[in-house]
Amino acid sequence: MTDPVISLNDVRLSLDGNAGRVDILRGITLDVARGETLGLVGPSGSGKSSLLMLMGGLERATGGRVSVLGHDLTAMGEDALARFRRHHMGVVFQSFHLIATMTALENVATPLELAGVGDAFQRAEAELAAMGLADRAGHYPAQLSGGEQQRVALARAAVSHPDILLADEPTGNLDGTTGQSIMDLLFGLRDRYGSTLVLVTHAPDLAARCDRVVHLVDGALAAADARDAAE
Amino acid sequence: MSLKNAARIARRELRGGLGGFRIFLACLALGVAAIAAVGSVRQSIETGLEREGAVILGGDAEIELTYRFASERERAWMDNAASAVSEVVDFRSMAVVGQERGLTQVKGVDAAYPLYGTVQLDPAMPLSDALAGRDGLAGAVMDGVLVDRLLIEPGDRLRIGAQEFVLMARLIREPDAAGGGFGLGPRTIVATDALAGSGLLEPGTLYETEYRLRFGDGIDLGAMEAAAGAALPAAGMRWRDRRNGAPGVSEFVERLGAFLVLVGLAGLAVGGIGVSAAVRAYLDEKTAVIATLKTLGAETRTIFLAYAIQIAVLTGLGIAIGLVLGALVPLALAPLIKAQLPLPAVFAIHPGPLAEAALYGALAAAIFTLWPLARAEQVRPAALFRDGALAQFRWPRWPYLVITALLLVVLVGSAALLSGLERLTLWSAAGLFAAFLVLLVMAFATRKLAARAARARLLRGRSTLRMALGSVGGPGSEAGSVVLSLGLGLTVLAAVGQIDSNLRSAIARDLPDIAPSYFVVDIQNDQLAEFLTRARDDAQVSRVETAPMLRGVITQINGQPARAVAGDHWVLQGDRGITYSASPPSGARVTDGTWWPPDYSGAPQVSFAAEEAQEMGLKLGDDITINVLGRDITATITSFRDVDFSTAGIGFVLSMNPGALQGAPHTHIATIYADQAAEARLLRDLGAAFPNITLIGVRDAIERVAGMLAGIAAAVTYGALATLLTGLIVLIGAAAAGERARTYEAAILKTLGATRGTILLNFALRAAMFGLAAGLVAVAAGGVAGWAVTHFVMDSSFEFEPVSAIAIVTGGVATTLLAGLGFAWRPLAARPAQVLRASE
Repeated sequence: MTDPVISLNDVRLSLDGNAGRVDILRGITLDVARGETLGLVGPSGSGKSSLLMLMGGLERATGGRVSVLGHDLTAMGEDALARFRRHHMGVVFQSFHLIATMTALENVATPLELAGVGDAFQRAEAELAAMGLADRAGHYPAQLSGGEQQRVALARAAVSHPDILLADEPTGNLDGTTGQSIMDLLFGLRDRYGSTLVLVTHAPDLAARCDRVVHLVDGALAAADARDAAE
Repeated sequence: MSLKNAARIARRELRGGLGGFRIFLACLALGVAAIAAVGSVRQSIETGLEREGAVILGGDAEIELTYRFASERERAWMDNAASAVSEVVDFRSMAVVGQERGLTQVKGVDAAYPLYGTVQLDPAMPLSDALAGRDGLAGAVMDGVLVDRLLIEPGDRLRIGAQEFVLMARLIREPDAAGGGFGLGPRTIVATDALAGSGLLEPGTLYETEYRLRFGDGIDLGAMEAAAGAALPAAGMRWRDRRNGAPGVSEFVERLGAFLVLVGLAGLAVGGIGVSAAVRAYLDEKTAVIATLKTLGAETRTIFLAYAIQIAVLTGLGIAIGLVLGALVPLALAPLIKAQLPLPAVFAIHPGPLAEAALYGALAAAIFTLWPLARAEQVRPAALFRDGALAQFRWPRWPYLVITALLLVVLVGSAALLSGLERLTLWSAAGLFAAFLVLLVMAFATRKLAARAARARLLRGRSTLRMALGSVGGPGSEAGSVVLSLGLGLTVLAAVGQIDSNLRSAIARDLPDIAPSYFVVDIQNDQLAEFLTRARDDAQVSRVETAPMLRGVITQINGQPARAVAGDHWVLQGDRGITYSASPPSGARVTDGTWWPPDYSGAPQVSFAAEEAQEMGLKLGDDITINVLGRDITATITSFRDVDFSTAGIGFVLSMNPGALQGAPHTHIATIYADQAAEARLLRDLGAAFPNITLIGVRDAIERVAGMLAGIAAAVTYGALATLLTGLIVLIGAAAAGERARTYEAAILKTLGATRGTILLNFALRAAMFGLAAGLVAVAAGGVAGWAVTHFVMDSSFEFEPVSAIAIVTGGVATTLLAGLGFAWRPLAARPAQVLRASE
């Protein structure tokens, strides 16, 4: 693989819990190519979401190296990571994580405003319209359905045309039909902006839509995936 | 059955601990503690005054006469009725040492003084030895303040009037000091016999005699008072006894204490907001539990009772903590308070004030928790499937509103009844309620304005400000509790600031411009012409005014007892100065009726001060009877005139035609208006020329009054600060309660690319907006309260004082910033992944 967008080298993550130190990720080595769609699958507690968070700089690895677009995230400070994300990444969560005190439009415009983009609101309006939510722009999250909230979250993740889209079980809280439409929108965004998409999912049919799927078991890549990654 | 079930549910819920109720308990405990502490100190002083009544009064009873000694018949009655009698004469004079002179309140005593208590002197010696003097000179003991001012020490000589004394000791403690009321000068005690040659106790000079009586055990003081009234009729005498040894002091303590309790109630109202917010937050957390209980078949009544029982238990705990603090803090500080207090105080646990504080605490807790408790019954089982079921505003059912209103009436009614300051309580409650409403409107307006501003095109691109405005105006905004709690606390402080500054400026700025330099009393008839010549010939004296003066007590109006007709008006309290004049004084304006002709010699006529006459319900043609020197004079009111008492010049409520009073022994008073630089020289010159007259420095008198008022203002400011402290606790509570939401928000913002600086600025901006809103309302509401008190109570013109107002607004912003940023650390430090994962 040439010019990987995301490059993980022997990445480890251990967290201190009530029961003592827990190893969440144990030496993950993995590259993601530009424009690739990667599915992360595995049983609950296998470390999928943690791996995704490490790729987004939302979690700090306790060992190894996380390199994204040529930048070593493990060497960057928290504010540098935030600035990096605002220009290069969009993140979508299972629980949407919209800011309750902001309207849909404000939620979507926020990353552009943080990046100092002049026409943040026009672009946010366009992105919401593309998600079919033009008439919901002035609504607060509590006034939207789950599917609508996730579409706002998608618009917010995509509005800055990020190089990388990270999605953590984006359909996990939605019914099948709504989940299907969300995935269509997510893959549509990937196609429209040429973003690299890393997707955590439990759903086999969603994983099947990805260019590549890696399996995590107990904080490590499954044997076959580990072999592929090493090649 | 529902009560049993409710109690069971409540017990199980409370097993979870009181972690979420720290603010609830702190608010309630602090409010109750403040009221209990003020009440306990007041009760301690009142008990002290009561227990030490005989010592403070100087006897079991006292008969006071105005510038005359008791007649032989009167004295014989006293000697017969009492087991011991002590005669004390009290007057103002000048103590003179060489060129130095100082105003002093002289007490002439006999050998029997004091009947109760002991006089403490430095060097220690019996009072009788001190007053005996040495080297053929009578002795004097003097307050240390005056001793230092006159630069003398024991053994030095001094003069009072024309009489020379030797200073024998400093006066450390005068047992009956508190009973004497407000004196203009420090105390000097001499033997009355030694004053015979002083020229200070001549007929017409201003002095009072007090006959202290000691009775045997078991005396019925009420019966004795009645007997004195029957035996000594129309003598112009005043009776006091140990049942209320210092009526002026005890009334002052009672009123100041009551007023501070009202300030404490304002604190409880502020605390109530914290209590209400805590219950609201608790029930929001319990939405799922309540919905589950309903799903399992619990009735609305059971649910309400279950949570009401929990709140009642917590209220009981909060009140108990407050009572313990309120009872113990004054006890712990007793030595400190006693050292500062010129009054006896018996510090103990007084149940009365504690019960009063507990009542206020219970009522306030009920008022502020009933509404949020009513929300418990609005939770539907469907809340288990939907978020934010309680987020929408809904009015409680009408019975809750009616009960809340009734509890409010009971609280205000109890405060009015127990404080004895009905009007002030009602006005304070109305003011507090109005401030509450204004703050509610302001909180609402702040939210709406912020929400609107957040969407303004102008702010697009200014993400930090827009985000701050968005959270101030958006759902879950803290505007209500923060603006209300801080705003109420700041309002009380702003009102105190405005009143205090207006009072100070009225005294410090306005009065000295128009007030005389000296007020001169005891000018004898034969000294008047020479006095006027000397004073008016002085180049630095701009004006001298003089008037004859007697003192008398208004006893009857139209043949009826005066108090029965005109109530407890200040003109009827004690004796008043009376003057006579053939023509209206210069500058006086007769508002109604006519002044008597210059050569009038008919039946006595009187001109009455117009404003006071109106307050007392007097009209032209009314007859008033005045007891002057034991003689009743009945005069007809023939005119009313404007009298301005605010200039500290000569002003008499009563002025009679000369024929009515001229024959009575009397002296003259005068006011001297002079350059400030000449005041010290005038005091020396006039004092040396007329040893018997007393010059009272108006500037000194004003300073003494201003000092006393500053003390009261300080006490009220401490009360207001207690209210603000409660507001701060509520604020901290709100900031702590919002910490989890801010941590979550910060995690999302970090995910979207916000730096910690941006997030911190966002938090700071929203805190500043709350503080600014609260501060602005406080300044406006405090200004209105200040105007009302200055205009209606002090009868003075109001001027808005900007310095304290700016300090209040700045303080408001600083306080919210501190509270807000104090709880910003965790949100800023939290890692987004962990926070967001926890809320998945």
